[in-house]
Amino acid sequence: MTLQPQTSNLLPGFEHAAFDSNAVFRVLLDAMSRPGRIYDLPINITAPDGLNTSATAALLAMADMDTTVWLSPTCATNLATTHLKFHCGSPITPDVSQADFAVARSDEDLSFIAQLPVGTAEYPDQSATLILMVDDITDGPNMRLRGPGIKDTHSLDIKGLPVAFHTWRTENHHLFPCGVDVIFASSTKIAALSRTTRIEVK
Amino acid sequence: MEQTVNNPADNTSAYNFAYLDEQTKRMIRRTLLKAVAIPGYQVPFAGREMPMPYGWGTGGVQVTAAVIGPKDTLKVIDQGADDTTNAVSIRQFFAKTANVATTEKTAEASIIQTRHRIPEKELREDQVLVYQVPIPEPLRFLEPRETETRKMHALEEYGLMHVKLYEDIARHGHIATTYAYPVMVDDRYVMDPSPTPKFDNPKMHNMAALQLFGAGREKRIYALPPYTKVKSLDFEDHPFEVQSWDDECGMCGARDSYLDEVILDDKGNRMFVCSDTDYCSERQDAGHRGQQHHDQPLGGPKSSPSSEKAAE
Repeated sequence: MTLQPQTSNLLPGFEHAAFDSNAVFRVLLDAMSRPGRIYDLPINITAPDGLNTSATAALLAMADMDTTVWLSPTCATNLATTHLKFHCGSPITPDVSQADFAVARSDEDLSFIAQLPVGTAEYPDQSATLILMVDDITDGPNMRLRGPGIKDTHSLDIKGLPVAFHTWRTENHHLFPCGVDVIFASSTKIAALSRTTRIEVK
Repeated sequence: MEQTVNNPADNTSAYNFAYLDEQTKRMIRRTLLKAVAIPGYQVPFAGREMPMPYGWGTGGVQVTAAVIGPKDTLKVIDQGADDTTNAVSIRQFFAKTANVATTEKTAEASIIQTRHRIPEKELREDQVLVYQVPIPEPLRFLEPRETETRKMHALEEYGLMHVKLYEDIARHGHIATTYAYPVMVDDRYVMDPSPTPKFDNPKMHNMAALQLFGAGREKRIYALPPYTKVKSLDFEDHPFEVQSWDDECGMCGARDSYLDEVILDDKGNRMFVCSDTDYCSERQDAGHRGQQHHDQPLGGPKSSPSSEKAAE
């Protein structure tokens, strides 16, 4: 018996592994160091069913065999898990408290976010990063952000962000230096919320 | 552009783009994202051996290798100078392994790797400053155990650092720390600014550029996002102050830059010159002249001895 890898229905990953991952990382680095500023996804990439393009690009750039990925029920399609296993080699976990990267849609049940690892007082870096797929990211006045990386204030509006997110985010901010960092990923745009960012919701 | 750099000896692929393999870069990149999310906190990373000895900027080189892309322009300075051994070799390293453009002009660079100085020219939002750090832990000389310094940072237990600065005052009448002067980042973490002179500490505060710190031997990365509060530790009755000089730069006449003392002979003659070579040459190109510039008349007034006010 021979093993037949089912690669026929796999989507391609990065066209240029070194350059594309660098371009995506630079956007993530800029986004995380300037919370609330909106960046365009710098490359073209096809997303498997269950993920959008920006979330796929972020995972392909940042995740590998050393990082455990948790996918929400709507994201964890066969195609998405196969895609991440093939291109990143990441273990996919059903246990959200094991996640290094957690991926979800903003319009689904977000009760899992309270269980994401937040790190410890001595190692606050051992925390999860939440990649939240959203429909649209604009600089509308819904949220006013302050904190490191922000000169005065940044305005950010995430379409359809539930109240539960803000409740969790306020608690998360008070855990500093522990906490979860958030990457908002629409199909074409990326913005981030560092755990240091103070949010005023209008 | 190719993602690999060919080995000229046999024309086979020798290096991945920017020397490090992709998995190592991803590991460093994840560390960098955590570092900017927790300003001033030292994130451990799996530092690799680099083709240069520890102490020559292996931490900074790894950070630069993870950040640099084919469109970047790299500037490398050592003590402010573009033309010293360390700066030249690191610049050539990336010109060779990443085939990127390099420059000596602060304004033209998108990434500036530095050892022990911050450029005099104000940095912009689209620039990244990468520091080479020998000892990232500001509390290390006060407490040698990593387990203890971790706890001290976790509990924000920084009294010992203030005692150290106080002992300076008790012994010397002023805070005698002149480089690697500890700073408080965003009112939370005490951070070592790397062995930059304290003259440069105020530039870190609310800087528009992203600042990344890499310590290769100690395997730590930390960061300051742009526009982050950075305060040099001090006391109400002994406020922080930077070095100042009675002299001006002998080449360009600058009075606002950090000056290096150059001994000219064994008769006590000396001159002061900008440590930031790009800043100095830009001023000279703009027509500024110091008294010891080669196109100035000989026998001009000599600089006075011992003109640095702040004691070392």
